[in-house]
Amino acid sequence: MSERYDSIVVGGGLLGAALAWMLAREGARVALLERDQLNQHASGQNAGSLHFQLEYRMVEHGWESARTAAEAMPLHLEAAREWAALGDELGESLGVAQQGGFMLAETAEQVEVLRRKTALEQEWGLDVRLLDGDEARRLAPYLSDSVLAAAFCPLEGKADTRIAGPALARGALRLGAEVRTRTEVVDLVPAGSGWAVHAVERSEAGERRLRLEADTVMLAAGVWTTRLGQLLDVSLPTIPLALMMSVSAPTAPFVPHLVQHAGTKLSLKQTGNGTVLIGGGWPARLPLAADGTPDLDSRPTLLQSSLVGNAAAAIGVVPRTASLPIVRSWVGTTTVTPDQLPLVGQVPGRPGVFVATGGSAFTLGPSFARSLIALADGRPPGIDLHPYDPARFERLSHARR
Amino acid sequence: MSAAHDLVVVGAGPAGAAAALAAADAGLDVLVVDEQRAAGGQILRTTPPEFGGRRKLPTGYPWAGELLDRARSHPGIAWRHGATVFGILPVTADASSAGGADASAGPGSADGADASAGPASAGFDVLTSDPADPAGSGRVRARRVLIASGAYDMPVAIPGWTLPGVMMAGAVQGFLKSQRLRVADRVVLAGSHPLLLIVADQLLAAGARIEEVAIARGIPSPVELLRALPAVPGHVRLLGELAGCVLRLLRAGVRISTGTVPTEVLGDGRVQGVRLARADRGWRQTGPARTVEADALVLGYGFHPSTELARQLGCALDWDSAQGGWIVRHDAQLETTVPGVHVAGEPSGVAGAEQSRAEGELAGLTIAAALGRPVPERALAGARRRIRSASRFSGVVQRMFAPRREALLELATPATEICRCETVTRSTIDGFLDENPFAGTADAVKLACRSGMGPCQGRYCESAVAGLVAKARGTGVGEAGRFAAHIPVKPVPLQAYVALADDPAEVP
Ligand SMILES: Cc1cc2nc3c(=O)[nH]c(=O)nc-3n(C[C@H](O)[C@H](O)[C@H](O)COP(=O)(O)OP(=O)(O)OC[C@H]3O[C@@H](n4cnc5c(N)ncnc54)[C@H](O)[C@@H]3O)c2cc1C
Ligand SMILES: Cc1cc2nc3c(=O)[nH]c(=O)nc-3n(C[C@H](O)[C@H](O)[C@H](O)COP(=O)(O)OP(=O)(O)OC[C@H]3O[C@@H](n4cnc5c(N)ncnc54)[C@H](O)[C@@H]3O)c2cc1C
Repeated sequence: MSERYDSIVVGGGLLGAALAWMLAREGARVALLERDQLNQHASGQNAGSLHFQLEYRMVEHGWESARTAAEAMPLHLEAAREWAALGDELGESLGVAQQGGFMLAETAEQVEVLRRKTALEQEWGLDVRLLDGDEARRLAPYLSDSVLAAAFCPLEGKADTRIAGPALARGALRLGAEVRTRTEVVDLVPAGSGWAVHAVERSEAGERRLRLEADTVMLAAGVWTTRLGQLLDVSLPTIPLALMMSVSAPTAPFVPHLVQHAGTKLSLKQTGNGTVLIGGGWPARLPLAADGTPDLDSRPTLLQSSLVGNAAAAIGVVPRTASLPIVRSWVGTTTVTPDQLPLVGQVPGRPGVFVATGGSAFTLGPSFARSLIALADGRPPGIDLHPYDPARFERLSHARR
Repeated sequence: MSAAHDLVVVGAGPAGAAAALAAADAGLDVLVVDEQRAAGGQILRTTPPEFGGRRKLPTGYPWAGELLDRARSHPGIAWRHGATVFGILPVTADASSAGGADASAGPGSADGADASAGPASAGFDVLTSDPADPAGSGRVRARRVLIASGAYDMPVAIPGWTLPGVMMAGAVQGFLKSQRLRVADRVVLAGSHPLLLIVADQLLAAGARIEEVAIARGIPSPVELLRALPAVPGHVRLLGELAGCVLRLLRAGVRISTGTVPTEVLGDGRVQGVRLARADRGWRQTGPARTVEADALVLGYGFHPSTELARQLGCALDWDSAQGGWIVRHDAQLETTVPGVHVAGEPSGVAGAEQSRAEGELAGLTIAAALGRPVPERALAGARRRIRSASRFSGVVQRMFAPRREALLELATPATEICRCETVTRSTIDGFLDENPFAGTADAVKLACRSGMGPCQGRYCESAVAGLVAKARGTGVGEAGRFAAHIPVKPVPLQAYVALADDPAEVP
């Protein structure tokens, strides 16, 4: 006998928790299966930036790639609205503060990048404006004199990565969803009009195999998405990126905004607890498995060049950070796709199975969840999801087991 | 950057000093880094030279003076004192070093003897603070590293333990040994570890009034004493020292109560009294508490090994309560699960100075052998024999004085702060576990409640947090897991990262 659900969510990061909660709210019988503990991977390790401007990684490779990246703007605009309302809908704080975000320029070249970027974003309907250095420092006295210009987007901000995912999972639980940790999905096979999900539950006592059935399956497995695709004989190409973050001991509030940079990898913000979070995409080294592919289950190694570079970038624009005691620098692994646009939609050729991942999926998580649920219900999603259709890769390569 | 050392030893206690000496005698080029001003570690800590007078080492360790003298004058050993190792990174082929300039400048590891695969072949970068410049940092390259970082006092959270005047036995002794500083005039000591009696005796000699020594366990039964007999040979001096402490305390009229635990610290802004209560054989409170006036409470329930560097490096650890909690897994050569990273002394299991020294000696020898130096089989056998002999004694100490962690955890009431850095109370953690049935590890609690995220990096609260998880989920502490550790294992200012660059001009 197997247990039957309307929907099974695979993965307990922010996306999985948001899916479980939203599904349960619609009255669905839901089970969320997480191999580890909730929120222990990218969703609990990321910078918590809610960013809607194009990021440095999108503008650093020239104008064509910036234009492509801008195609995700509708998702970002939707995400901005989503986050503003999420805590109230859930009835629990997610640590959301949208007090505006800067993207800074320290050279004439970077000022030019900001100018073109701002114009492009405005075309897509984002509320963003260009400030000169003094105007920026009036809003943000903590910025150094080296800042020549800044793009300011009032919608940007942060959410608390420590609490957002688990809070959504608790919300799901209150609505009757099941949340099972230490439970790894090991196979997905068609069963009747739905799917049978095979999983292994681990405890001190040993392993227990489970077979659950559901009408729909939601893949919310972050960097492990490609591996789950393999269980379905479908190519869901993702590229893992190991990135470094650092956090200081708490200090009196002095940075209310999100701070990013147009010429180097930097994101900087102060959390509600007073700690200063510094990141921006500085790389770490992913260990390789025996077959030469990235080993996603081993801990990546910090690079000294990233420690140096990230610290220098932060101190350069926010000099007060120089003396802040750093208590932790860690590495998390996230996914991008070969064309930099997220994967959101039905898994090609596998009706009833849906997937979302790629890019700033903390910011976009709630929007991804909302969109997948609409698709699964056969309702039109709020935005045009075609650019993110997973089938675009399936057409290129057809993987068979 | 200077050339790589064959071996960098973290910690200059008995383990680190013995390892450095053995390795240097075998021909290795060794650097020892220790955050203290002088070699000796916890047990051989002495006053600074400015105090004058002759060096006073504890009498129980006749080898101590010679070990330190020989190590300090050995031409093959360099010392860096006053510097904290805040992280260790494997050198990887594609990982250029800080400035990106010397990616190819790795140590020549052509040495055929260094056969282990993985990071060991390329060595490690040991990141240190800079004793001369708080904003600076240092970096030394090592072909192998030895973690001999010792142990620290096991924290026990009881109501009022954050009041000034509550201290751990090791810290109190540290003040006495290094500065001849008596931390208070009227002292209650509570605990279970034999060190408590030594500290009480030392406080007495320093002129403090010992109001009471409250020992959690009862008087040893005849069976226990019989089982302890094998520990005696070779350790008569140490046992004599302990007996001397007890005699002097009793002669001074100090009340030593067994089967007694502290239930609360009283005071307004500082310690003014301690509530003590009778406890059963399992250390659970049985009777009502009484108040003893005092201006300090000294707690001494045992030690936790300092494993943060091993954790940061990704070494496997195992839970062993009697040996101090999480200890670093190692093979017979004292190599950890990360090739090229070795461990000696307390991080391999808290076992005291004698065993630490013997392990250090063995680690120094096996590292030298691994790097191709000739090491006589006799020397290895001697070190192994000394470890075995020391472990007979330490094993008995561990058994007799093993902390009853579940009972100690119950001394914390809902309002007691478990994590003092982030001021997280027991009720916050219990509440989280209640509302989040899906959470079942210490790390999950840390992420959600912030307990363990502060400057002490969880050293104070890890075992209590894991204990609460284990209790709530009906599992063992080992299953509840441990906190991960990251660079920096002890906080450094952000600018210390920038200072890691090879060439400041190249900082982006
Ligand atoms: C350092 C860093 C900084 C970042 N900064 C930001 C930022 O500021 N803003 C932003 O928007 N984004 C940021 N990101 C990206 C963002 O963190 C991720 O895109 C997002 O958290 C992904 O969420 P997720 O729920 O899809 O995946 P995850 O959080 O990775 O969760 C996936 C879960 O699936 C589980 N799982 C995998 N396989 C199985 C299986 N077979 N069975 C059961 N469970 C399984 C995993 O254990 C995991 O818990 C950052 C990422 C990193 C690493
Ligand atoms: C206060 C105290 C009193 C003790 N008294 C006794 C006793 O009476 N009898 C007994 O048998 N045992 C005693 N012990 C147990 C003690 O741990 C051992 O006796 C012995 O000192 C262990 O030797 P070791 O070399 O393993 O570690 P230690 O002697 O502790 O030496 C470790 C050294 O590593 C250094 N270190 C640690 N981390 C870093 C870092 N990141 N960077 C730089 N340096 C670092 C420390 O400064 C220290 O000097 C005591 C322990 C403590 C804490």
